[in-house]
Amino acid sequence: MSTLKAYPGRDRGPGLTRGAAQGSGRDPLRRILPLLEVRPGKVAAAIGLGVLALACAIGLAAVAAWLIARASQMPPVLTLSVAVVSVRAFGIGRGVLRYCERLASHDVALRGMAALRANLYERLAADDRPVTVKRGELLARIGQDVDDVGDVVVRAIVPAGVALVTSLGSVILLGALLPAAGVALAFCLALAGIVTPWLAARAAARTEARGATARGEVTALSLEILEEAAPLRVSGRFGARLGDLEAADARLSAVADEGARTSGLAAALGALAQGLAVLASLALGIPAAVSGSLSVEALAVVVLTPLAVFEATAGLPAAAIQLHRSREAARRLLELAPANPVSEVRVSPASDTSGKEGGVLLVLDGVAAGWPDAKGVPRVAVEGVSLTLRPGSVVALAGPSGVGKTTLLMTAAGLIPPLAGTVPAGAGALFVAEDGHVFDTTVLENLRVARGDVTADDARAALDTVGLGAWLAALPAGLDTVVGTDAAAVSGGERRRLLIARALLAPAQVLLVDEPAEHLDGDTADALVRTVADHARETGRAVLLATHRLTPLAAADEVVLLGHGPHDPLGAPATVVARGSHERLLAADPGYAWSAAQEQTASS
Amino acid sequence: MKPLDPRLLRQVRAARWYVALTVGLGVAAAGLIVAQALLIAALLAPVVLGEGTSGPAMVWSFAGLALVIAGRAAVAWAQERYALRAAARTIAELRRAVVEAWALRGPRAAASGGGVASGSGTTADGGADASTSGSGSASPEAEVATLATRGLDALEPYLVRYVPQLVLTALVTPALVCVVLGLDWVSAVIVIVTLPLVPLFMVLVGRLTAGTSERRLATVERLGAQVLDLVAGLPTLRAFGRSFGPGERVRVLGDASRKATMGTLRIAFLSSMVLELLTTLSVAIVAVGVGLRLVEGAMLLQPAIAVLVLAPEVYLPLRRVGAEFHASVDGVAAVSRAFALVSSGSSVRSEGEDVPAPAGLRVAGGELVLEGVSVRAGGRGVVAPAGLSARIPLGSGDAGGGRVVALRGASGSGKSTAVLVVLGLLAPDAGRVGLASPDDAFHDLADLPAGGLESWWSALTWVPQRPSLPPGRLREVVLDGTAQVSDHALAEAARLTGLDAVVGSLPDGRETRVGLGGVGLSVGQRQRVALTSALLDDAATKPLVILDEPTAHLDARGEQAVLDTVRAWRDAGRTVLVVAHRASLLRLADQVIDVRSAADPAGDPAIALRAGSGVPGSATDGETR
Repeated sequence: MSTLKAYPGRDRGPGLTRGAAQGSGRDPLRRILPLLEVRPGKVAAAIGLGVLALACAIGLAAVAAWLIARASQMPPVLTLSVAVVSVRAFGIGRGVLRYCERLASHDVALRGMAALRANLYERLAADDRPVTVKRGELLARIGQDVDDVGDVVVRAIVPAGVALVTSLGSVILLGALLPAAGVALAFCLALAGIVTPWLAARAAARTEARGATARGEVTALSLEILEEAAPLRVSGRFGARLGDLEAADARLSAVADEGARTSGLAAALGALAQGLAVLASLALGIPAAVSGSLSVEALAVVVLTPLAVFEATAGLPAAAIQLHRSREAARRLLELAPANPVSEVRVSPASDTSGKEGGVLLVLDGVAAGWPDAKGVPRVAVEGVSLTLRPGSVVALAGPSGVGKTTLLMTAAGLIPPLAGTVPAGAGALFVAEDGHVFDTTVLENLRVARGDVTADDARAALDTVGLGAWLAALPAGLDTVVGTDAAAVSGGERRRLLIARALLAPAQVLLVDEPAEHLDGDTADALVRTVADHARETGRAVLLATHRLTPLAAADEVVLLGHGPHDPLGAPATVVARGSHERLLAADPGYAWSAAQEQTASS
Repeated sequence: MKPLDPRLLRQVRAARWYVALTVGLGVAAAGLIVAQALLIAALLAPVVLGEGTSGPAMVWSFAGLALVIAGRAAVAWAQERYALRAAARTIAELRRAVVEAWALRGPRAAASGGGVASGSGTTADGGADASTSGSGSASPEAEVATLATRGLDALEPYLVRYVPQLVLTALVTPALVCVVLGLDWVSAVIVIVTLPLVPLFMVLVGRLTAGTSERRLATVERLGAQVLDLVAGLPTLRAFGRSFGPGERVRVLGDASRKATMGTLRIAFLSSMVLELLTTLSVAIVAVGVGLRLVEGAMLLQPAIAVLVLAPEVYLPLRRVGAEFHASVDGVAAVSRAFALVSSGSSVRSEGEDVPAPAGLRVAGGELVLEGVSVRAGGRGVVAPAGLSARIPLGSGDAGGGRVVALRGASGSGKSTAVLVVLGLLAPDAGRVGLASPDDAFHDLADLPAGGLESWWSALTWVPQRPSLPPGRLREVVLDGTAQVSDHALAEAARLTGLDAVVGSLPDGRETRVGLGGVGLSVGQRQRVALTSALLDDAATKPLVILDEPTAHLDARGEQAVLDTVRAWRDAGRTVLVVAHRASLLRLADQVIDVRSAADPAGDPAIALRAGSGVPGSATDGETR
């Protein structure tokens, strides 16, 4: 179970067997790097351009220092012409080369991000674990995380490479003129380029880790006050809530303040390093020049060059912070899409024959369904469910919310493994989720998710069937209207019906429809359930639908009522408490009849 | 775009203090830079000229340089040390202001979009999802939530990195130019001529490229969103067995995205290239000029070295400002959005904190009066409710004096909006709502004196569909400050609302911790907590209960609990105003008020005015049973 601990966000069914444990101890950034498909040559080219750009800046300082030292001796002007030209060339070269470096490094980063997105998508597509809440959060962050990982090239790897090469070069230059000054510069560069970034990154990481709780509180409180403003004001708790927000923000500030101690130290050390380098050059260079072992031109170079060199290390604290941020992002991405997600084989012994005998489309035999709890222990939500779906059969799962209807449907679809009993694999059962995704594209393309060859006429017919004909007619561009993330275009009820229309277009022989009536008013909901039932009978498909609304279930051949017996202990799995036709249940089950009677809406 | 919003200094104390500190540090930094340059020149020049060096003078210069270096380190320390703190406090101050201003704006903006949702029983979770995923949806609620939670964080890089450089540009650059002028006027002229070229060229390049890069940026964002959309839809694609097809598409989209982005960057980086080119070239020109004048003997070495050291420092703040330009754009945008919200909210009457209830607002035994109340549902082209009139006698707190009043109407007819109007949270577009005291004085909710609305709220209990709960242990949450409740009464109330079953199913029972906003409990469980809490209110001080009947996922047992609770409120002598979705509750009602919507007569002031006096026949003071 060690891998489970390493990946706390991963919920797994007990029947799932994973591939070999992955090297969870390794740096996540290094593990994710292959997914970026970065070509080392391109990174080297970017670093090379950056080095040249910075070399121009340092060269400018060094040659200018030499120039004025030499000029002060009033030699013939011609002897200075090379220096004059190179100072001007450095002045121009720096801006141009830096421009090229930025383009090159961004190109590498963007290629990396594109590859990373594609590779992550493929891993996610191959991974058939169900999406849990935790994973949902990670998915919501995937865009930002990919950007953060990609940024490591532009903001960490290239600046670090440039800093390393130019620092070495500068040390060699100074060392060649005056070895002691080279050593001093190396020491100061190490202070500015290693100690300072390390401190800065540590401060940022600590602030982030310690502030996480306060930040979460601030976010939750802000959202609560914004969303619940009216109830809070009416109940007189508004002022107290604002006070809580202020207190949480004060805690966040305190954490930032604490981190600022370390980052302040880092900033001071960075400034100190440059000053010390100049001071050391002066202290070492002047005696050498006075004694004649160092030319005066070289002295000027030794003293004034360090002023430009530290530009190389100036960006390193930010680079170190970025490295930390990218590593965290990489860790989340790997958690979301681990390497080698082994596709589970869920073929149960009975499966191979099931689809072929007597026109039976789907058989559940004594199935128990459930999810693992927080500790990974499977918790059976519902058990002992057996049912048979033949072409044209319409079966409804009824029962109060939370009884396990959705879990059972997902089990029947093969999306989660059964905890007991058998579910045939490859039955072609389509799970139509209550919160199915409407893609950010046209209505037609959204319907084509079901089947690639849906024609415009098919689409119109399907939308008509689910009662969206008028809606379609009102859309500005008809089937070519873009729907999706901008939820304004589609109301909750329309969205629900659009998802049903898409399911009807799918080639699947068995439709497992979750809460088709949700977000719809009573009459529309009932009509939709009847539509789905009629459609199944006409096309010879089978429908298993889960609903807590009972009124339309007269359209079903059989209603399977899930629930708890009166003497069940709390927390016991739900079972089938009654089954039969809608009419029979109305007559025989007083609880069912009562529930159905309550559904007469106030407005009708 | 102003680089530093003056409102930030006027209204946010932490920011004002911080900018003052930064200015002080900037002055110190300017002095230290000049001192460093002069000291280096003083140490270096005699040696280069071979003039020999006097020991004591050199020691003093070294000591001075060491001090200057220590000073620069101290300035860097103070800047970083206090910048982060000031940023955190500024963000906190702004966050509070934004949240408070938006919350006090009232639900009008929300009501326009929420009318449909509240009627059909859509859970309010949608709002939270939109804000947390930050998908950039157009709804103002999501925008405010994003701003309050993450958007304001853009202020940190802005305040920590951009503002100091801005201040340095304003302080250090002119100071250094003056010093250079004193040392060598020719170099100063070069600097003075080239300095304005930097912003000029940057603006020119920015102007030329702005349109292109914005268009391209939109393309980039769209491409990126499409990839995320595919990832988000993976469960759906997998259910349809089509998850592998789009893998190639992700690659193609990614490649297109890269090409579009590179196109943008090629242009966007031009301005920074101009910046680098001009500043570095200027330094080179200064250096060459100084060198050539040295050869001619037109200049002394010592000022030449000082000028050489100072020249890059003159341009440095400007270069850094350019480099932090993006931080400034995001930060300034966040600041101006925050102030836009705060100022639009400040016109709303602010929450009186401890204003005594005005005399005369006697709720118990009075009557709630609605006269021709109409509210325009923004964007839907309807008025919902339209011309709603009713008189609702309020309970007295005496057993037997209670009453159940049901609001009945189709989805979207404005039942929930009517509740907001009754609460005084939403002013009707036409008509009036108010309280008729037992002595027949009429108090319009819209004209209550300061604190009047609060005293109206203190006389009622509102149980929305999705109640908000204070955090704490379940028992404390239920009691919510009302300590004078016997265990017996608590147990009785919990039994009635079905809370006892909830408590039984929770691992920690009554000691279960409820998080912020009811985290840890389902919506249904929260509902039961709120019902129980409302049952324990003192009927005499809170004679009115307003209940938005829960519809989503309510089973038979839950339904029965609601009915029993409503009956108990009535028995305690309270008036229960209930938004009824089900027949069972309507059967319980003593008075039914029909809520209807009508087509929006917007643009026709005559109709709007007529609605003000109550459109005859458009609403009924429903039958009384």
